Amino acid sequence: MNHARPPVVDLTQVTLAYPSPDGDVPVLNGVDLTIDTGEIVAITGPSGSGKSSLIAIIGGLEPISEGTAHVLGLDLALQNERARTLLRRRDIGIVFQAYHLVPSMTALQNAALPLILAGEDGAEAKATEMLTRVGLGHRLGHRPSALSGGEQQRVAVARAFAARPRLVLADEPTGNLDQQTGAVVIETMFDLARSSGTALILVTHDPALAARCDRTLKIETGRVVP
Amino acid sequence: MDGHGTPAAGMKVLITLLKAELAHGILGLRLFMACVAIAAGMLGLVWLMGTGLSEAMRDNATRILGGDVAVTVVNAPLDRGTLEALDRIGRTSNVVELRSTAHAGSSPGSSRLTVELKAVDDAYPLYGSVALESGAAISDALAVRDGLAGAVVEADVLTRLNLVIGDVIRIGDTQFQIRDQMTREPDRLSAGTFLVGPRVLVSLKALEATGLAGRGSLVEYRTRVRFPEDTAIEQAIRAVADEEPDRGWEIQSPEQAAERVREVMDRTTTFLGVAGLAAFAVGLTGAWAAVSMWIGRRRRTIAQYRLSGATTSTVVVLHAVLVAVAGVLALVLGVGLAAAGAVILLGNLTERLHLLWSPADMAPTVMLVTLTLALGLAGASVAALSGVANLSPLRAMRDGETGTRLQPRTAWGAGLCVIAAAGLAILGLPNPSMAALAAAGLALVAGILVLLGDGIARVGRHLPARRFLALTIKQGLMSPGPVMLRTLALGIGITGITGVVATQQSLQTAFETQIPEKAPDLVLLDVQPSQVDLIRATVSETPALDGLQATPFMRTRILAVNGVPAEQALVNPEKDWVIEGDRSFSWTAEPTGAELVAGEWWPANYDGPPLVSAEEDVMQAFDLKPGDTLRYSVLGRVFTSTVANIRKEYHRTMRPEFLVVASPQPFRDAPHGWIVSLQGLDAESLSTFVADLTRSAPNVTVVDVRRLVRDAAEVVEGAILGTLLIAAVLLLAGALSLSATIVADVDARRREAVALSVVGATRREIALARLAETAMTGLVAALAGGAAGMVASFWITTAALRVDWTPGLSAVLLPIGLGVITSIAAGLSGGLGALPRGRGQLMRLLAG
Ligand SMILES: Nc1ncnc2c1ncn2[C@@H]1O[C@H](COP(=O)(O)OP(=O)(O)OP(=O)(O)O)[C@@H](O)[C@H]1O
Ligand SMILES: [Mg+2]
Repeated sequence: MNHARPPVVDLTQVTLAYPSPDGDVPVLNGVDLTIDTGEIVAITGPSGSGKSSLIAIIGGLEPISEGTAHVLGLDLALQNERARTLLRRRDIGIVFQAYHLVPSMTALQNAALPLILAGEDGAEAKATEMLTRVGLGHRLGHRPSALSGGEQQRVAVARAFAARPRLVLADEPTGNLDQQTGAVVIETMFDLARSSGTALILVTHDPALAARCDRTLKIETGRVVP
Repeated sequence: MDGHGTPAAGMKVLITLLKAELAHGILGLRLFMACVAIAAGMLGLVWLMGTGLSEAMRDNATRILGGDVAVTVVNAPLDRGTLEALDRIGRTSNVVELRSTAHAGSSPGSSRLTVELKAVDDAYPLYGSVALESGAAISDALAVRDGLAGAVVEADVLTRLNLVIGDVIRIGDTQFQIRDQMTREPDRLSAGTFLVGPRVLVSLKALEATGLAGRGSLVEYRTRVRFPEDTAIEQAIRAVADEEPDRGWEIQSPEQAAERVREVMDRTTTFLGVAGLAAFAVGLTGAWAAVSMWIGRRRRTIAQYRLSGATTSTVVVLHAVLVAVAGVLALVLGVGLAAAGAVILLGNLTERLHLLWSPADMAPTVMLVTLTLALGLAGASVAALSGVANLSPLRAMRDGETGTRLQPRTAWGAGLCVIAAAGLAILGLPNPSMAALAAAGLALVAGILVLLGDGIARVGRHLPARRFLALTIKQGLMSPGPVMLRTLALGIGITGITGVVATQQSLQTAFETQIPEKAPDLVLLDVQPSQVDLIRATVSETPALDGLQATPFMRTRILAVNGVPAEQALVNPEKDWVIEGDRSFSWTAEPTGAELVAGEWWPANYDGPPLVSAEEDVMQAFDLKPGDTLRYSVLGRVFTSTVANIRKEYHRTMRPEFLVVASPQPFRDAPHGWIVSLQGLDAESLSTFVADLTRSAPNVTVVDVRRLVRDAAEVVEGAILGTLLIAAVLLLAGALSLSATIVADVDARRREAVALSVVGATRREIALARLAETAMTGLVAALAGGAAGMVASFWITTAALRVDWTPGLSAVLLPIGLGVITSIAAGLSGGLGALPRGRGQLMRLLAG
């Protein structure tokens, strides 16, 4: 290895197929992808093209079928589920289309979870700060069921960045937000990513948003197209 | 919100939805149906059995006794004057019972069998009828034909002597022709002691010809009276009692007949009632948990219906109908199975007990059981269904985790239904006061469990949450609703199971003590004094025979203690059997070998006026001390003797035990038989001995104790198996109800686990957190439920069943084990249910 830092994400010919009663359904068909430290990359593509699946692979939530995938220096194919989970805990924050907050926990507890898992002191204070940055300082004690969709999405964003990860994966993080709020959240994310050198992969259908990123990758039928 | 203005339109929507839902929706209620079916089957079976048994005993009471009142004397018949007096009070029937030997054929070496001989007059039976296989009338069957008296016998006589109808048996000096096989003897249960051989029924006149009754063998003379219609029964019974001869008699009314059977029945029905209530409580809790779970899972569907314009009432009615259809199906299945089981069991049992019973008798109870269950289910379902009414569609769509609260009105409705059901069950079960106390106990336990659940939630809320484990446990514990549901379902289940198992164990121990230990192999009855030495000689010459004990055997009746009539002298009502009827009596010069509790034996050469040795039970009955006097009758004569000592006999030996033993004079020279017991090293030497005895002492009745012990063990094992089965089914019901509570929030748990996994919690951490959380509720519920179950069983066994409380280790370990297993299962299902394995599974959940 030379002195240059290795890429945060390095995928070579990655394929992913889901089993189904009628045989395997290919979803990703040989994806090549490299993302460097601190880079902000937009991923676009039509619905069903495999964007969310790609996020799941990089986040270690779904094992790849073939190819090689290095994330933060780890060869994912060689890691078991536990190792991938711990990688996620240490270094990756994820915002999902469907938020996936813990229903029984308050906004504050949800945002503090990564910090608590990491065993950090002052988890709640840090989480409070993060929630305030996404404009939810007044909703700390609310459960997800008492929050609007956009508010839940912002909690998810706060949670993703809370433990200062090296990589954040965001699947349509502003899909449910009005333009103004969406802009604020995106601004916050960019800020956080830039200030901490966090790489950010952003799935979006919004060309304007994509244009603000360092570069844009387009996915069609499970392949990165130029 | 409501897009449908008219009720008719609402109806149409409902019907459309119902059509779409019926097949699929009911399937989702499988767990509910299983809970209902088991509760219905179990409550139904025990209720039908308990009620059936006690009703059969009640309906057959006069048949069992053989009259409205019966008097019994032993050894010598009532004198003419007394009999005539009884005749004036009502219609009488005289019956004589004695144990004797039936010989197949007339040659001396032929095979023989100890039989319970019963001679009846023409008036017999005053109530009920004897059932003969051919359908003939009893008087015809017993009549003299071709110079031969008739006899009807139980099947056992034919098989064991290898005879057919029409063959001849010899009893005493008389030949009887077997005319028929007897399938039901209406007054069978009135036989005082238990029967050592099959029954042979002959006519009273024929018995006189055998000469058996005069030979000093033990004979019971029963006279039954049937009062004319519209007699004031109590007064009439008092009139009969006034005729009591000086020698004393045993007088019984129908409620007193078959005391021993009645006691066993009472215990059984009480146990059944308690088990039934426990099953009811466990089943209802399970049903409630299962419906709540089902509704929880359907939140999104409900929300979608609501959002697409169905009114609240349409949705509530839709779900109510689905639950009702599933509930009725399960109820019919459960009650049907219970009724079928009860018909088989009761049919079999009543036939064995010679009781009249018909399946149609069950109909009212079946209705009552069904009504009770339906009410209970309605209550449980209403409570659960209120979740549908209160569901906010918006919140349900958002993430399904909405806390639903019971509206006071619904809570009242549900509570009233359940209370009404419990009330019906209490009134309907054979022992209402017991059942009421049991139900009150269960309600108290439920209240305690709910409070405990609330307590856990309070503790949970104040738990520090700086670590992941602590935080997730706190989250799991702090919402009171689910925690209370789980503690309640688990706790009630464990209470019921522990209570029934501990009771069953105690009952089993009590039953087992009825199986004799250290019994001799043979008991010889009616041995004449001259024959005792002969038998002694034979046994001492034969190395394979030993353990010989020979004792004079007579009957006595205790009439008074220290000059106070026995009934008034009684201080311990539990021991009233010592004055009921005739009890065993013997005389001895030497100490019998029994342990002395107080006083001394008389000297071996004592020949003054009789002194007596009383068994410990007599002491307990009257608070008797050496020096007190007993007035008693023997062989029709009345004696008053000083108590020399108190003896303690070791029961369960099947050796003769004597309530009263006297010094030799004047009994030594009175006509009486001896009873001899002995043991053999092998079956062959025993049968050789019996064969020789048949020739040398044909009058002696041989009781094969080995066979009796075997039979007794069979009955007892049957009873034990029955109670074990009941406990096992209850366990199953409990397990189902627990699984309902576990499955109840699997979906919510899965969503939660996915979220936790996203932020990097490992499978193990999630499972551990679940385990810790459920272990806490599990442990609290198990401890509370187990303790409550123990207390309940202690009370039931000692107060209601009146047997010793011997819960056994299993009853202690059971609640702990159940709590642990359930906690682990719940923890695992939280973990397993939460994070799916396999490619694409997690992705499916993440997508939406
Ligand atoms: N668990 C699964 N099993 C089988 N097929 C799946 C599974 N999850 C997703 N798919 C399929 O994989 C393909 C890619 O899905 P994915 O969610 O990655 O698309 P996407 O690009 O994120 O679409 P969208 O823009 O609508 O979110 C789709 O055709 C989808 O149907
Ligand atoms: Mg997607």
